Amino acid sequence: MIGLIAFIGGFGAFLIAAVALVRRSERRLGTGLPTASPPARLGTEGQAEISAYLDRMTTELRLPAADVAEVRAELADHLYDSIASLEAEGFDPESAVREALGRLGPPAELGRLLRAAHQSTRRLLAGAGGGVFAAGGGFVLGYLGGVVLALLGFLALLAVGSVLALVGVRLLDIAPQDGGNTINSLLYVAAFAMAVATATRYAVRTSAGLSRRAPRTVAVFWAVAGAIVFGWLALFGMRGPQSWPSVALELCIPLVAVASAFFRIDRPMPHVGRWAVIVTALTVVVISLGFFAVTGSSTSVSEESAPVLCSVSDQSSSCQPDFGFDTVAPMAPAAWLPEGTFSGGGWGSDPASGGTRVNDTMGSQGLPSWTDLQYEAWHALPVDELGPGGVDTHYSTPFAVQPAALNGNSLSAVFHFERLRDAVHWWIFLTGVGPDGHRYRMGDGRGGQSNFNGSAWDWLTAPQ
Amino acid sequence: MPGRIRGQLLKGTTTLLVLTVLREGELYGYEIAQRIRDMSGGAFVPSEGSLYPALHALEADGALEASWREGDRGPRRRYYRITRTGLGMLEAHAQEWAAFSLGMTRAVGRVDR
Repeated sequence: MIGLIAFIGGFGAFLIAAVALVRRSERRLGTGLPTASPPARLGTEGQAEISAYLDRMTTELRLPAADVAEVRAELADHLYDSIASLEAEGFDPESAVREALGRLGPPAELGRLLRAAHQSTRRLLAGAGGGVFAAGGGFVLGYLGGVVLALLGFLALLAVGSVLALVGVRLLDIAPQDGGNTINSLLYVAAFAMAVATATRYAVRTSAGLSRRAPRTVAVFWAVAGAIVFGWLALFGMRGPQSWPSVALELCIPLVAVASAFFRIDRPMPHVGRWAVIVTALTVVVISLGFFAVTGSSTSVSEESAPVLCSVSDQSSSCQPDFGFDTVAPMAPAAWLPEGTFSGGGWGSDPASGGTRVNDTMGSQGLPSWTDLQYEAWHALPVDELGPGGVDTHYSTPFAVQPAALNGNSLSAVFHFERLRDAVHWWIFLTGVGPDGHRYRMGDGRGGQSNFNGSAWDWLTAPQ
Repeated sequence: MPGRIRGQLLKGTTTLLVLTVLREGELYGYEIAQRIRDMSGGAFVPSEGSLYPALHALEADGALEASWREGDRGPRRRYYRITRTGLGMLEAHAQEWAAFSLGMTRAVGRVDR
């Protein structure tokens, strides 16, 4: 408990520090001071000459807006003082302007010298470090905000579903029949995209302010860095439920980073108060704790452990009369599989590989006259209120086959449904070539449901 | 009145001169240039084009702090104030300059003889 409190406290302090750093750095990015009005006695020509000089000088500065405004105002003040002094020495106004400008030297050279003075190595390092720190805070903050928005969106979806149910429309009928996999993955990626956008923006604004560079100058670096780092994370690092929409969104993550680095980057970030950070963090903690309490500490959606228990011999009203098992292969004649051939078996998660292990325990007599024993995974129909779905007879071949490995008197195989894109509902059968040279199935098989679980890269490279 | 110091010789001494005049109190850019000229009896006239980059570099290094405020006798100015870091830097520069100056004086004196 103390560890949890320390973690939340430390986390909150980190977020508050990151937001404070962004706000402090952003002060340099404001509009800054207005340049003082030139004295009226200078005349239009003199004023135009000074303005042109300052304009030329500022084009070389490439500093944040507040710094540009300050430098411009300071040099304008200097010029007005210098001109007044020269006039007092006897210069006429036009000559005084030219002399004062001449003493400052070529405007482009002055601009370059001032830029070099502002953009020291120390400030560059501070900008880089501050940018990374702010990006970390922005990522967490953006992700928390994204999660809160996603949860609110989910609640809104539930509310709409309830209203639709009142008028007889079931939301699940319109939603994808994949156990919520698509919705889960989309919410997950949307929160990640928001985190990337916030992180990149925080990095650009903070590093610009600290390193005294114009945001668009440093945006190039952060756009490239963000596209590489977050693109890599999106492609390889984000493991979880996937779907085509979520993978498409994940492939857009580098674009999100680039767009966030440039789009209206000169505009201030929305103000995020400390209380907003605290309330957001607490909301996420409370909702997460509630979620864990309801789901029994399980957030995995990759695999449902409950097999379809109804067997083909069960012809009760809750089961469908035909499971389409003959699509797989004809059932082996009872004489070739006498009572006691199999004494047990089942399926479950394989801890070593994370896949699905299926096994059968044979009796002492074994299967001496059978050859080429294998497990076949077939697409199945989803479970609904009519009972468990049978084999999907639209398919004439299994989508995965594994040879049955014999270990003592046990046959087994491991399937990786979590790496297959379309293996949501399935039935697994043990088949073999009987004494007559034909393939038969050796039982009613077993069914279940799995969801893809991996990275976007895993999804893209998954076998069809 | 001694002649004006050559630009090349003056180069590199701007930092020392700026820190020296600011040790006496807050000044804005134009005042700093005037004060250096007055203090040296006109011998040192820092290039105005190099004065501001030097001021801003010292500020970036933490040797100076700058703030905008209304002047005692005039409009808004950007005033510079020497910091503790700046005082340390001044001491170091002054010692370097003293050593350099002494060495130069000895060397030039030897040539004269």
